[in-house]
Amino acid sequence: MNAGLFRPASVEEALALLVRLPDARILSGGASLVAMINARIAEPEALVSLAGIRELQGVAELPAGGFRIGAMTRHREVAAEARFTGTLQVLPQAASVIANATVRNMGTMGGAVAHADPGLDYPPALVAADARVEIASKAGRRQVPAGQFFVDWYTTLLKAGELVSAVHLPAARPGVGVYHKFARVAGDYATASVALTMARVGEGIVTRAAIGGCGPIPILVDEANRLLSGRPGSGEVRRAGELLQAAADPIDDVRGSAEYRRMLIPRMLARAFAEARAAAGTQT
Amino acid sequence: MSDALHVQLEVNGSAVTLDVALTETLLTSLRDRLQLTGAKRGCNQGVCGACTVTIDGVPVRACLSLTAACEGQAVQTIEGAGGDPAIAALQQAFIEEGGLQCGFCTPGQLIAARALLEQNARPTIEQVQEGMSGNLCRCTGYHKIIDAIRKAAQRLHP
Amino acid sequence: MNGVSDPVGRRVSLVDAREKVEGRAQYIADLYRPRMLHGAILASPYPHARIRSYDVAQALAMPGVHAVVTGDDFAPANRMGAFIKDEHALAKDKVRYVGEPVAAVAAETEAIARAAAQAISVDYEELPALLSPEEALASNVLVHEHVEEYFKIFDAGSSGNLCSRTEFSEGDIDKGFQEADLVFEHRFETQAQAHVALEPCGALAEVDAQGRLTLWSANQGVFRVQACVSEALGLPMTRIRCLTPKIGGAFGNKMEPHVQPIAAALALKAKRAVKIILTREEDFEMVRARHPFKIRIKTGVRRDGTFVAREVEVLLDCGAYADDSPGVLGFGLLCARGPYRIPNVRCHGKLVYTNKLRFGAYRGFGNPQVSFAGESQIDEIAEQLGMDPIALRLKNIIRDDDRWLGGQVLLSNGLKECVERARDASAWAAGAPEPSGPGKKRALGFALCGQQSGLLGTGAIIRVLEDGSVLLNVGANDIGQGSDTVLSQMCAASLKVPVEQVAFVSPDTDGSPFNWGTTASRLTFMTGRSVVGAAAEVEKKLKQHAAEMLECAADDLELVDGGAVAVKGVPEKKIGFFEIAKRSHWMVGGPIIGSHTWVYDRPTLDPKRAAAIGLPFPRIGAYSFSAMVVDVEVDEVTGSASVKRAWSACDVGRAINPMLVEGQIEGGFAQGLGYALFEEMVWDGARLANPTLMDYKIPTTREVPYELYPIIVESHDKDGPFGAKGVGEVCLSPVAAAIGNAIKRATRVRHFKLPFTAERILRGMLASEK
Repeated sequence: MNAGLFRPASVEEALALLVRLPDARILSGGASLVAMINARIAEPEALVSLAGIRELQGVAELPAGGFRIGAMTRHREVAAEARFTGTLQVLPQAASVIANATVRNMGTMGGAVAHADPGLDYPPALVAADARVEIASKAGRRQVPAGQFFVDWYTTLLKAGELVSAVHLPAARPGVGVYHKFARVAGDYATASVALTMARVGEGIVTRAAIGGCGPIPILVDEANRLLSGRPGSGEVRRAGELLQAAADPIDDVRGSAEYRRMLIPRMLARAFAEARAAAGTQT
Repeated sequence: MSDALHVQLEVNGSAVTLDVALTETLLTSLRDRLQLTGAKRGCNQGVCGACTVTIDGVPVRACLSLTAACEGQAVQTIEGAGGDPAIAALQQAFIEEGGLQCGFCTPGQLIAARALLEQNARPTIEQVQEGMSGNLCRCTGYHKIIDAIRKAAQRLHP
Repeated sequence: MNGVSDPVGRRVSLVDAREKVEGRAQYIADLYRPRMLHGAILASPYPHARIRSYDVAQALAMPGVHAVVTGDDFAPANRMGAFIKDEHALAKDKVRYVGEPVAAVAAETEAIARAAAQAISVDYEELPALLSPEEALASNVLVHEHVEEYFKIFDAGSSGNLCSRTEFSEGDIDKGFQEADLVFEHRFETQAQAHVALEPCGALAEVDAQGRLTLWSANQGVFRVQACVSEALGLPMTRIRCLTPKIGGAFGNKMEPHVQPIAAALALKAKRAVKIILTREEDFEMVRARHPFKIRIKTGVRRDGTFVAREVEVLLDCGAYADDSPGVLGFGLLCARGPYRIPNVRCHGKLVYTNKLRFGAYRGFGNPQVSFAGESQIDEIAEQLGMDPIALRLKNIIRDDDRWLGGQVLLSNGLKECVERARDASAWAAGAPEPSGPGKKRALGFALCGQQSGLLGTGAIIRVLEDGSVLLNVGANDIGQGSDTVLSQMCAASLKVPVEQVAFVSPDTDGSPFNWGTTASRLTFMTGRSVVGAAAEVEKKLKQHAAEMLECAADDLELVDGGAVAVKGVPEKKIGFFEIAKRSHWMVGGPIIGSHTWVYDRPTLDPKRAAAIGLPFPRIGAYSFSAMVVDVEVDEVTGSASVKRAWSACDVGRAINPMLVEGQIEGGFAQGLGYALFEEMVWDGARLANPTLMDYKIPTTREVPYELYPIIVESHDKDGPFGAKGVGEVCLSPVAAAIGNAIKRATRVRHFKLPFTAERILRGMLASEK
């Protein structure tokens, strides 16, 4: 039988199905895929549902520290995850502004990450959090840094026959994570967003910032992060914003012009940085 | 695409068997096969919220749910929800407060509002706005919807 | 006409609220008929092209397909159109906009119908597309080659791509500007707004054994549907019966036809019922939208702030078909002087065909656009003169016996009270509170307007049934605003029965009296008058019976609560409606029926005071007024503006149902907020770029402030039933200007284009910093 809805009980079984049915699509939360089906952009004859695979469900603390977010973890769960403290706060902040409460019951981490819509909230948050994407294939599991996973518009490193099985987060570091999003209305895709983590490492402060909605993939510039780390003055923060702005490749669309998005980047970065610094300063 | 898949699920407390195509949405099955037309098609993209129903007690967009993927699950629509005291309280409050005009978005509003109150028994105005941002209304301007939800909340948990 | 009785002024819940909250209300998409087929439409991919031929063979051959219709199925002479009959049911000979219905299929399932529609191949010969009014006026290419031949209900002055032109003038405009100490001239531009009723358009047509068509549809007037289907199909009206299910919002989108003639044609051809429900994308692309306006406004004032002259010139994009556009042009110009005493006025404008989606009726009907311009300019004038914007307006607003532009007498005018109550409730004089945080600017803004409620014909029939209960039949659609409830309240009040004892008949062209439609904020005022008039007739007949039964004079009798007639001062001597009904049905006189019909009868134009060319409506209605204050905050990082609080005072004559009046004020404000801040239909060349709810955003719970204070002002209009006038549009028209005025006061930058997107506001702030 080559058509229909398949419900594998394990990742390996799912991968075997993908090999056997090369035209099959993966069904995770369904939010993106079913919208495409309704619009007649996608017309799959076979679907491999990940709903029954236990290892893909939920957030687990890793023995060596850090967390593993199963690919089928819903946005609602990430938004409510109390264990994502310190720098990892950037994840629940991002999850909580995705669409609306009902859609957050449906959408999944794996589905969002694999779909790689540049307007989504997870990609810049995962990059700022220094997350790694766990890819499952016949050859086994491998992890790729989020910053390398997103390659282009709606394009990731995933090859045919592979699926995202989890997202790994490093251990929470003392500090803060913030996610700021500008959109036309609540629940819209981001016109532009800033995900920023500010970690206290010994006596120092290490800051990572990633920009979303301003190009095919999240934007992170090492030199900008270097400028933002420690205790930069406003000149350095501005310079970091300029670097991120220069690295951006936004388009014109109904959510904003390319030029407006460029204008937003340094302004939103400065505000996110100031908020993070104030929050970090109030912590012991 | 033939209606090749045999799906058994529960709808409003009754066992139901449907033969559907793989790509048929729950919204289509509810409306066209079961004549449960309370859930509405406003956009078919999951944005407007008029199709909101619950699956295993969790509100979802019926227009983004595949019937084939609902095997073994319990679906509840507005038609089956009236016996729930929370829904009944919300319905009564919506009527009294004028929380509806054309009524097209109303079933979805009620299902979503119940879930909000399950999470937060006495939400503030801002929490209602936050929790209900996924249910669009073009008629009311939302003010009386918010009043209705908070009135129901007060009655359910005085 | 004035009476005080229990149901009037009460916050009665919607009479159909329970069925709506229980999900039992039946909208067009919920209706099924035996052996019903589904219809789907093939849309034009081109903005302008000749249709050379169709090939429907493949579509017809698909299993499950029962009928295909194209433009060839409609006779050339069968055109419809509210003012200018320029439109066929399907594109005929030519397509004129991307998304125009070209052909349609009826099939066993919607999926088959859609697939078959796509299998129809059409041979097009592309023509140059005219995508702006300026381009169309300058071009030799014609959107409509035969515009001079089209039947027109008024003197439109159509020629070439000019669909219509209208002008009003009073006084001497040139002399007026000479007398002015200061003259202000500005140009404004507004965008196309989509209605986005939550329910997309749809229709269900069925042919009975006699060959008579029954047509259900999402509509704002069953008689409009009947007339348009009659014209488009060349059928006598008596062969068409139009009914209405529950309607999921309309706002103007459903006032003129959408798919009804197409569904009807398919049903006749297939000899089976056919239902067509548009997708959200089709609803955006095929139907209609709010007119974009370009406005030049010039106002002359004296140094003390007295307005002496105003000239307003507008250019409207008509889109591909006239639809209600000539009305929008005329009405917009009629509102362009605003509710001000300005002795020298010239308002004129043009409506131009283009190869875009037709623009049509949308809540406000031209007034939101001209009010945006006029109310924005007045704030600029106030700033130049160093006057408070509200004080400047109070100095110039019409009062007492003042007339509207054109000379219409106003029988009620609560505008001053609206202004003062909005001003006082908002603590205007104290200014906006502190911004809610760092990096934000905050200010209050003000605007006002007048808007008519009325137009064309209406009627009411009230029957006292055998059991004494009351049946009210008005042929008027409740599109969600609650007219069924309000009209029932008026009937109940007039006959002194509980509201629950009035049964409301769903509009039916077979049995209902003519009602033009649910539009122009007219039902409470127009149809309410007929309800009161019909009730008066019923009362007279009840009393005649009771007089005979009680052996007294009819003049000695009065209606008493609960449905009875009693001798004045002797409440024990009474007869219930039940007994009177029995007598009237079985013994004497015949069943009691009361009826009333009318057309608003006060002329818009007094030729001794004003001149007009191309006036589309000779008589309209009563004027309602509104004044509002908004508290707006602008984010300095993104430029995003949000409304924190708003006070909207509306003179509605009399609030028959204050809860529903508030509902209109709140909903109208929200729709105006979207219009002001972020709603915009965007064209990418000839094609609509954002025809989905992902891409076209309307306000959510997070964008509309909870602190939205409706203030009901009652000026007791002498023409209005119980003194009532309309509210549906007057509460929307000033919103954009009020928000724009607040943004100006917060950022020191005036924006002349709608919407006030974050990008525009940010650019404005940055430019002004330099």
